[in-house]
Amino acid sequence: MDWNCTVTEERLSDFLEGTLALPERDACAAHAEACASCSEILARVGALVTDMHALEELPEPSHLARRIINNTRPTPRRGQEFSSWSGWLSLIWQPRFAIGLATVAVTAVILAHAARPQLSRLTPADLNPVNLVRAGNRQAHLTYARGEKFVNDLRVVYEIRAMLASPTQAEPGNQGTPSSGARPNTSEHEDETQQRSEARVERGSMVWAMLFPFTDEGAPPSANRRTP
Amino acid sequence: MRRHTRRVYNLCYRFTGNSAAAEDLSQEVFLRVYRTLGSYEAAYGAFATWLTSVTRNLLVDHYRRTRRDRLTDSIDQAPQVEETHSTERTPHQQAEAAELSAQVQMGLAKLSPELREAVILRDLQGMEYGEIRKVLQVPEGTVKSRINRGRLELARILREMGVRAS
Repeated sequence: MDWNCTVTEERLSDFLEGTLALPERDACAAHAEACASCSEILARVGALVTDMHALEELPEPSHLARRIINNTRPTPRRGQEFSSWSGWLSLIWQPRFAIGLATVAVTAVILAHAARPQLSRLTPADLNPVNLVRAGNRQAHLTYARGEKFVNDLRVVYEIRAMLASPTQAEPGNQGTPSSGARPNTSEHEDETQQRSEARVERGSMVWAMLFPFTDEGAPPSANRRTP
Repeated sequence: MRRHTRRVYNLCYRFTGNSAAAEDLSQEVFLRVYRTLGSYEAAYGAFATWLTSVTRNLLVDHYRRTRRDRLTDSIDQAPQVEETHSTERTPHQQAEAAELSAQVQMGLAKLSPELREAVILRDLQGMEYGEIRKVLQVPEGTVKSRINRGRLELARILREMGVRAS
């Protein structure tokens, strides 16, 4: 292969980077051995490339990144300010916020409606802190008393229901069949009916006494007709 | 972000030889990237290659813009060499590396822009031929030719400057 100084210069980088084919590489090496100029060029360029590859990257100025970030950050303009407000509006204009707002509005209307008569009768003396505390205390006690009365009424109702239900279950005639298995005769049946009637009247008088505990006429009208 | 900043800054500094200009150009590069990020397509190649391409275009613009200023300056005026030393090396090694970097920088400043950018991309940025072809938008044969001629020219310049090869 005819390898000369011109070819050496043209293929210098290929030789240094090892991308020459084997015959060309041998021809280049043989020419460099024979030519002092080409040998010197190969050595000098090879050393230069090695040195440049070994050079470290220069550290950028410490403030450069911050400077770039500051300059690439968009500055708010008038239109953008409006868009930021509209962004808030869009955040507020959501179903859950609207529902919450409607609930608050309805509650406020109800409270205003309930307090309206009192507000119309409001006098300057009512705004005195002492009067406010007293009114609050009175209202709290009233509320407690009403609650207590409601609970007591409930208890009475359930007690009455329990009393009406339990004797029926405890009546001997309802507990089962007679042990003999024989059918009761007519006189016995009349006695049982009489006993049931008396028990019913007695329960009614007890209930009446519970409903009206402070009256002298506690007995129901039917109790006067009770048979001894 | 820091990796890209350093890469862009080094490219700008090696091309201009001036740290202040490199700083301004780096900022300009990222501003342009920020504005034209939508035009980036993955088919073009790696993001670093695209970033290098943007940087190179800006450097070419900057070179053309400052041509008149350079002609009015002294032609023999040496470029500013501002090296920052790495802390991982000994002081002697740091001094040697700084001296070499400064010499290479001075030699690069005397290369033509076409050869300079090719050598910088290949030997200082470590890019492959295919990537350089995309950045410079020239055939790969032209890229190899420019790199080869740039190395030869740079070695000759350094020899004339009295720089001894290691």
